[in-house]
Amino acid sequence: MSPSPVGPYLPLAVTLLVSGLMAAALPVLAHFLGPRRASKVKSESFECGSVSEGSARQRFAVKFYVVALLFIVFDIETVFLYPWAVNFKALGWFGYAEVAAFAATLLVGLAYVWKKGALEWET
Amino acid sequence: MLPVLNNADSLAYFWPEMILTAGAMGVFLFDLAVAKSPRRILWLTVASLGVLAAAALATSHVAGLSPTPIGLFNGLLVLDPWAVFFKYLSWAVTALAILIAGPSLEVASERMGEYCALLLAVAVGMSLMASSTDMLMMVIGVELVSMVSYALAGFKKHDRKSSEAALKYVVYGGVASGMMLFGMSYLYGLLGTTNLVGTAARMNAQAAMLAQAGVAASVAGAGRVAMVVAVVLVLSGVGYKIASVPWHMWCPDVYEGAPTPFTAFLSVGPKAAGFALAVRILYGAMSVSGGADLATAVADVPWPQVVGVIAGLTMTVGNFAALNQTNLKRMLAYSSIAHAGYILMGVAAASETGSQSVALYLVVYLFMNLGAFLVVGIVGRLSGSESIFEYRGLSARAPFAAVAFAVFLFSLTGLPPLAGFVGKFHLFKALVDRGGSWQITLAIVGLLNSAVSLYYYARIVKAMFLDKPHTEERIAVPASYNLLLGALVGLVLVFGVYFDGLRQLAGSSVVLFGHS
Amino acid sequence: MSQLAPGLPHFLVVGAVLFALGTYTVVTRTNAVGILMGVELILNAANVNFVAFDRFNPSPHLSGQVFSLFVIVLAAAEAAVALAIVLAVYLNTKTIDVTEADTLRE
Repeated sequence: MSPSPVGPYLPLAVTLLVSGLMAAALPVLAHFLGPRRASKVKSESFECGSVSEGSARQRFAVKFYVVALLFIVFDIETVFLYPWAVNFKALGWFGYAEVAAFAATLLVGLAYVWKKGALEWET
Repeated sequence: MLPVLNNADSLAYFWPEMILTAGAMGVFLFDLAVAKSPRRILWLTVASLGVLAAAALATSHVAGLSPTPIGLFNGLLVLDPWAVFFKYLSWAVTALAILIAGPSLEVASERMGEYCALLLAVAVGMSLMASSTDMLMMVIGVELVSMVSYALAGFKKHDRKSSEAALKYVVYGGVASGMMLFGMSYLYGLLGTTNLVGTAARMNAQAAMLAQAGVAASVAGAGRVAMVVAVVLVLSGVGYKIASVPWHMWCPDVYEGAPTPFTAFLSVGPKAAGFALAVRILYGAMSVSGGADLATAVADVPWPQVVGVIAGLTMTVGNFAALNQTNLKRMLAYSSIAHAGYILMGVAAASETGSQSVALYLVVYLFMNLGAFLVVGIVGRLSGSESIFEYRGLSARAPFAAVAFAVFLFSLTGLPPLAGFVGKFHLFKALVDRGGSWQITLAIVGLLNSAVSLYYYARIVKAMFLDKPHTEERIAVPASYNLLLGALVGLVLVFGVYFDGLRQLAGSSVVLFGHS
Repeated sequence: MSQLAPGLPHFLVVGAVLFALGTYTVVTRTNAVGILMGVELILNAANVNFVAFDRFNPSPHLSGQVFSLFVIVLAAAEAAVALAIVLAVYLNTKTIDVTEADTLRE
C-alpha cells in the first residue's frame, strides 16, 4: 500500500462503518422480528429501574446494594486490563499467562458468589 | 548493590505466596464441595493447615536458593533473612488462628471455609508487608491485610458488637491508609521513585543538591517540611497497623467486638508484620548503614528520639487504660497496645541488636498473647461473656486453663523465668547499649510501666485463684484446646530458660537489604 | 502562552485542597457513608499528586501512574468492603450514624 496520510485511519473508518450499520440494522430488525405488547409500565420513560416521578428520597431494596458491590469489584478489573492491552505485543505470552491467572482468580470469586446465591434476584 | 530479578525469574522465589494464593482459592472451592459433610470444620482445618505446611516447605526451599538478599519483581520485593523470618512467623500465627477457630463456637461451620480462606489471604498480605522494598508493594500488603481484617472483624454478621467493631475498624483503617498514601505521593515526588532501597542516600543527595543550587532558604525549608510531612504520614500508616499511640483508638473496640479466634490473630500477626515494615523503613531504608546515621537521614529530624517518645507514650497509655478494665478482651487489647510500646523500644534503638530484640520479642509474644486469648476463648465459650466476673475461682472450674492463664499473664508482665522476661530483657538491653541519656530514660519508663502492668495482670490471677466462683459448674475444655494450651505453656517455659537458640535465630534474621 | 500552561505547583495545590477537604469531611461527618466519601477524597488527592509528579518527573518511568491505578483499585475494594459493613451495621442497629455505635464501651 502506498504511504498515504489516510492509510493508518482506514481500520478506524471500517470500524465506524460497521458499527454504524449495526446501529441502524438492529432497531429495524427488532421492529420486524420482535413481538410488541404495549403496557402501562413499558410506556413510561426509562429511568434505570427506579420510578420516574415522585420524591427521589426513597429507599432501595438491599439487593441493589449487593449487586452494586459485586459490580464495583468486577468492574474495576478492567483497570488492569487496559495497560496490558496497550502493551499486549511487548509483554508476549508471559503477560498473557499473568493476565489469565488474574482472570482465573476473579473467576473463582464469581463461582463462589454464584454458588452462595448472591446473584439470585428473588430470595 | 542488591541484585534484582525480573518478573519471570522471580517466580521461582515466590512459591510460598503462590501456594497460599492458590490455596486460599482452593479452600473457597473445597468449602463448596464439603458443604454437606458433617465433618466440614475438620476437613477445612486439615486442608488449610496442609496449605500452610506446603507454604512453609516452599519457604525453606526458596530461602536456600539465595544466600544473600535478592530483589524480586524488578525490586518490588526482597528475599532476605528478615523476610524469611517473618514469613515463618506469619504462617505459624495463621495456623494457630485456624486451629483455635475449629472448636470455638464463634465461627459457624457453614462459614468456616470463608474464615480459613480469608486468613490464608491475610497471611499472603503479611508476607508481602514484611518483604516489600517498594511503596507500591507496601500499600498492597498493608491493604490486603487490612481489608480482609475488616471483613473478619465483622464476621458475626448478626451480632451488633461485631459489626460495630468492623465499622470502627474500616473507618479508622480507611483514614489511616489514605493518610499513608498521601504521604507516599509526596515521598514519590521528592525521591523520584517509589522504591525504598537507598532512600537515605537519595535524600542526602537531594539535600546536597538543594544546598549546591543555592536555592533560596525558604524553598529549601519548604522541601524539608514536605519531606518531614511525607515521612510522618507514611509512618502513621505503619503506626496504625501496630496500634501505637496516637493511632491506637480502634484497637480496644475492634478487639472486643471481633470473634475471639480472630482477635487472637489480630493481636499478633498484623502487628508483627507492621513491626517488620517499621524496621525495614527506619533501619533499612532511612539509614545508610546500621541505623547510626538515622538521626540525620531525613531533614535533620532525630527519628530515633521521635520513635522513643512514641514508645514511651504508647506503653504508658496502654498500661494505665488497662488498669480498670473489667472486660478481659478489652484489657488484653490495652495490654497489646502497651506491648507495642515495649517493642518500639527495640525499633528506637535503631541498631542491629535492636532489630534482633524486636524479632525475638515477637516470637515470644506470639506464644504468650495467643495463649492468653485462647483462655479467654475457653471461658467465653461457655458463658458468652468476657467479664472478669467469669474468671473468679477459675482454678476450681477449669484448673489447667487457670494455671496456663497465670503463666501467660506473668510472662506478659516479664517475670523470670518465663519467655516474656527473656524478650523484654533483650529489648531493654538493646536500648541501654546505645548509651544515650534519652535511651536510659526510656528504659526507666519501660521498667516503671512493667511494674504498673503487674497490677492488672495480678488482679486476674488473684480472681482466678483466691476468689469464690459464682457457680460450681465445671468448664468443659475441648481436648484440642488443652493440647494447644499445653504446647504454648511449654514453649513459654522452655524459651524462658533455653533462649540461646531463639536469640541466634533472631540474630541471623537481621540481614536486611542495604547492610548486613 | 507558556505561563498559562499548568505546571507542577498547580496540580499539587489541587491535591492539597482535595486532601484538606477530605480530612475536613472525615472529621466533621457523623454519617458512616459521609466519612467514607471523605476517605475517597483523600485517596484521590494522593492520585492527583502521583500522576502530576510522574508527568513532571525529569526521567518519567510511569511508576507514579501505575501507583495511581492501584490506588483506584484499592479505593474500589475498600468501598465494597466498607459498604458491606455499613449495611451489616444498619441491619443490626437501624442507623449508620457513627456516634450511635457505642455498645463497645463499658
